[in-house]
Amino acid sequence: MDRNQLVKWLEAPAKMAHKYSLHAVYFCTGCGIIEVPPTITARWDAERFGVLPTATPRHANLFLITGYVSVKTLRAIVRTYEQMPEPKFSVGFGSCPINGGMYWDSYNTIKHLDRYIPIDGWIAGCMPRPEAIFIAVTHLWTLIEKDMADGYKRYREHYDEYRANQERVLGKLEWPPLFPMRKDQ
Amino acid sequence: MNGALTDRLKAIFRDIETDDVRDGRLTVLAPAASVLSVLRLLRSDGYGYLQLISCVDWIDDGQLEVVYVLSRYLDGEGGIGGGPIRVVLKTRVPRTNASLPTAIEIYPIAEPYEREVHELFGVRFEGHPRLTPLFLEREYEIPPFRKDFDTRQYVEDVFGSVPAVGEESQDS
Amino acid sequence: MRELELYFGPQHLGMVGNFSITLKVEGDRIVKADANPGYLHRGFEKLMELRSWIKNFPMVCRMNVVEPDSMEMIYSMGVEKLAGIQVPERAQFIRSIYLELARVGSHLFGLWAYANMLGFDTVAQWAMYHRDLVLDLFEELTGGRVYHIYIWPGGVRRDFPDGFEDRIVSTLHSIGGCVPDYDNAFFNNRLFRERAKGVGTVTREDAVAMGGTGQVIRATGMEYDIRKVDPYAAYDRVPWDVHTRTEGDAYSRIWVVRDEMIESVHMIFKLLDAMPKGDVYNRIPNPFKWRIPEGDAYVRCESSRGELGLYIVSDGGDKPHRAHFRTPSYPHGLTVLEQALVGESIADVGNIMISLYVVAPEIDR
Repeated sequence: MDRNQLVKWLEAPAKMAHKYSLHAVYFCTGCGIIEVPPTITARWDAERFGVLPTATPRHANLFLITGYVSVKTLRAIVRTYEQMPEPKFSVGFGSCPINGGMYWDSYNTIKHLDRYIPIDGWIAGCMPRPEAIFIAVTHLWTLIEKDMADGYKRYREHYDEYRANQERVLGKLEWPPLFPMRKDQ
Repeated sequence: MNGALTDRLKAIFRDIETDDVRDGRLTVLAPAASVLSVLRLLRSDGYGYLQLISCVDWIDDGQLEVVYVLSRYLDGEGGIGGGPIRVVLKTRVPRTNASLPTAIEIYPIAEPYEREVHELFGVRFEGHPRLTPLFLEREYEIPPFRKDFDTRQYVEDVFGSVPAVGEESQDS
Repeated sequence: MRELELYFGPQHLGMVGNFSITLKVEGDRIVKADANPGYLHRGFEKLMELRSWIKNFPMVCRMNVVEPDSMEMIYSMGVEKLAGIQVPERAQFIRSIYLELARVGSHLFGLWAYANMLGFDTVAQWAMYHRDLVLDLFEELTGGRVYHIYIWPGGVRRDFPDGFEDRIVSTLHSIGGCVPDYDNAFFNNRLFRERAKGVGTVTREDAVAMGGTGQVIRATGMEYDIRKVDPYAAYDRVPWDVHTRTEGDAYSRIWVVRDEMIESVHMIFKLLDAMPKGDVYNRIPNPFKWRIPEGDAYVRCESSRGELGLYIVSDGGDKPHRAHFRTPSYPHGLTVLEQALVGESIADVGNIMISLYVVAPEIDR
């Protein structure tokens, strides 16, 4: 361990702990799931970066949305995201969550994922390689370090806008609002 | 040998058209009312493997064409051997109030295929036990796979109109 | 006993792929199962009608993410049949080698999923590592690890680089040399036998009535393999066997997968020996002005999960009028799964689903 890290560990141990143990919730949302098993197994070993898959969103703080998002999947994604405890970070994986990607004219996939849940970073590619996932993890460390990975805080602040967008696409949502909604003036 | 099946079909059903067997495949065009009887005959003739029920939208003719692709597993497996390996049975229904009887009693595998054709093209299958949506979550006025459903316009109307979050409160 | 409704939903550690099953259980026994697909529906076939024939090639391989090469092959076969394009001999051999490598990779992925489901994590890590060695070969040949876009109508896009055949042989030797380890750790393991024997049995009559293909039907004793029944590419130029078992349960299906993997490796060696020299593609017409004559065709091939078919219709224009993929996971995931799950325990749902090799994006397209 080098000396700069030691100072950071003493000053902000919680932040360092969040960085170096990003546990990803195991949800195979789309195409990109094909590059996640190589990442978490022996050859490209993500555990040396602290990234492990967990079974339930209650134990996770990283949500990797791998690939395109259809309307039915969006419902499951919003529920999973809301079940994760804070602080939580979400990363869009592949070119499809960014702007629709190859399915830009499909009637069943949503086009911009960051209008429905907050995204801290994107990984471009179709498919991104395992090394791209690791570069993204190191970028996420830098963002956490500088307190710029504030997706969960944005969700809390703009919750009624996010929920309005979700309801536009999914219809009436059957779960109650996560945060108290701001009453319109 | 190849002509035997064609002759039998023509002898029993007056109102169907068939071609010669080409490339191991026999194409049969039948009206909607005789579809089940033709399927029953083919099933008893050894074509026990329903590979696909598909639908093609011929919007210029104002008709939907439902296609049944039948085959058998191995030669001699159940029923009379010989004859073409594949029979493609096509039938046309009008685009408004499209409906056909279900083929589930003859081929149990028809159940998900008919559900999909109903959902994406709007063809009703009378007698189907579970004609609920298979893939789609939202309601669509025109079934999405029909040619007059403009998917790009739909995307702009529904997904393009979703505003980005935080745009208004940038100066807060 | 009371009945409970459980969602074996998309976010579940036992679910590989975005698929959901609604289970009605009494205690630990499943009484009724309803498959709930649609999480990955993109309206693929509608999108294909809006793009020209050549633009569909990069799209088609994304339909099935575990083995995209069989999708490229079936679309090429359909277009070639409609347009009457011939494929040179060397390209047929290259296609067969390429598809067999994809089959090995796909079966190793299935072995990772299945071994994880039963708790054999070590074997899962080995399987994924060996699949990565195969993906390295693909990356050298085509430039991409997962989506290759290598087969197009008229042949393949480029020839093998220098020395590629030696690299294929050495990679397959290093994978094949580990087969005794796999057998000791997994296939001959008493725990695998106890978890998988008698579980998820699909009899031959049920499989035939429900349109089951691939290892579901080969595990019941029928030697039904499209590469033998309706040969395409270069599969009828070399001798090889179809492997079957008789019981039809999860144990037999996984053993059929293992035997097929070994047979694929031997087949690649034979194909490499018999491959002639020559061109690797015939020129296709100008892709911007390519119109295919009217007609329809149904073609089929054997992917790693079963019989993959395509019903393609052209109305004489520059875009497909209708392309309908008959994917093998469609009957396996929707009717065979619902029937095979009745009476089993909740812990075996993942076990049965992976042994039937249900790949969710294929069902929804």
